[in-house]
Amino acid sequence: MTFLDRTTDARRFRQWEGNMEADYIYTSGVAGERFFVALRDGGKMLASRCVACNLDYLPPRLFCEDCFAELSEFVDVPPEGRVAAVTMAHLDRRGTPLSRPQVWALVTFEGIRGGLVHRLLVPPAKARVGLAVRAKLKARGDRVGAVTDIEGFEPVRS
Amino acid sequence: MRKVGVIGAGMTLFRRRLQETGKEMCFEATKMALDSAGLTRADIDMVVNGTAPDAFDGVHMKGEYLLDGCGGYRKPYTRVFTGGGTGVFSSIAGWWHVASGLADAVLVVNEEKMSSCQPHPQSVFAHIWDPILDRPLRPNLIWIFAMEMNRYMHVHGVKKEDIARVAVKNKRNAVGHPCAQLADPNITVDDVLNSEVMAWPVQRLDISPPSDGASAIVLASEDFIRRRKIKDRAWMSGVGWCIDSTMWTDRDLYFPEYVARAAQTAYKRAKISDPRRQIDFAEPYDPFDYKELHHLEGLLLARKGEAPILTREGVTERDGDLPVCPSGGLMGVGNPIAATMGQKIGELFWQLTNQAGKRQIPHEVHTGVAQAWGDLMQYGSVVVMSS
Repeated sequence: MTFLDRTTDARRFRQWEGNMEADYIYTSGVAGERFFVALRDGGKMLASRCVACNLDYLPPRLFCEDCFAELSEFVDVPPEGRVAAVTMAHLDRRGTPLSRPQVWALVTFEGIRGGLVHRLLVPPAKARVGLAVRAKLKARGDRVGAVTDIEGFEPVRS
Repeated sequence: MRKVGVIGAGMTLFRRRLQETGKEMCFEATKMALDSAGLTRADIDMVVNGTAPDAFDGVHMKGEYLLDGCGGYRKPYTRVFTGGGTGVFSSIAGWWHVASGLADAVLVVNEEKMSSCQPHPQSVFAHIWDPILDRPLRPNLIWIFAMEMNRYMHVHGVKKEDIARVAVKNKRNAVGHPCAQLADPNITVDDVLNSEVMAWPVQRLDISPPSDGASAIVLASEDFIRRRKIKDRAWMSGVGWCIDSTMWTDRDLYFPEYVARAAQTAYKRAKISDPRRQIDFAEPYDPFDYKELHHLEGLLLARKGEAPILTREGVTERDGDLPVCPSGGLMGVGNPIAATMGQKIGELFWQLTNQAGKRQIPHEVHTGVAQAWGDLMQYGSVVVMSS
């Protein structure tokens, strides 16, 4: 008969250990290169513009997913965005309680398709949909051209 | 079943590392295929994506990740996967979308970005082995190919020189391919025989290294092709696929029975009773030089043990009686696993519609066969196409 009881110790059974070792280096791509260089060097976020569909994509894309045009025009994302949804994480990935809940938000920008998921830099009680926010960036010298150059989003008016 | 034609094809450069993300590569290939068919994304009813293990790109649910680049946004979209066999199998999935009457025009987009995986995709290839019987021995995937090659050489008394001729032919054929990574107009048999031994008898130039790339084709029904007055089309007249035992140790490695069965299915549908006479050229899967020979025999285009002789005699050269891998194949163009659809189905389309440029077979050809090989050395997918 097979193992019917729940066990938390797989080593009680005859077993082999394995490790699916895999390490990666991901290229940020053609549109991603523009976005991350502008974020690092200019401290700003870019969207790519589809003229035909009158759409701006954030994060920027090389192509319009709808009309399939190649996109080469980039525009600045407005500095002020709005919280579209929030969550408060109470447990870490292993299920261990966090000392303080982490606040995460989906931030969208007027007239822009898409948005960014990032830390929301407010106490849980202040996290709400509709909050006007802006990106808080690391200092120029600490930015490397990655999504973590953004520390999170903070309220425009505290 | 309705008649299905290939009406467009596109592919990116194949390179060790491309700046483009997987989605961006898919977009380039897809756009090229749509442009060549004279269609836009709006004309497409359904989309099929083919891509090999998620672990190569390092993105789980790779099909979902690639879908916008494949033109799949808000359309019926499916990813299919049969390991290396995906290179031809995804076009079979596209075929049944159209043959069944469910769709009139379908995009098939294949992608692989193997450079993401560090230090080498070999580290994730290791995970396809049985976790209890094989992996504790820390095998390298090339070992089993080396054993298959050895078994093939042993059973038929094949010399390494005759196998090396395949690498030479394909790397030279690839000189005319705009996407080629491994073209070499001056390579010789001695270069192959003198290259580094990786796992004997496999040497460095017997094998096609990892790569990044994407390819795409457009398929359409006969009615759609007539209605749109599309001139450049090649019919998919037969399809077949077959998988062998899950235990690679259970097979006699000298002959790919699963390819033969897949080929028989495809030939029956295409009404081909004598493949050697009725098929004008072939694009068998050639990630290793010996695999082209192995697969030619599996495709019943050569008797068992005869493929090396045909190669030595020049029959499989581009201007020979049975041109094999006129594209340059995986050995010459490159091997971003699923994206090799570009040298297989794409090449059949380009040859049959006289668009192969410098690679065009100099004599008239009407029927070609493409094949891919995958999973754990056990999967064959075969497509016959006719002008």
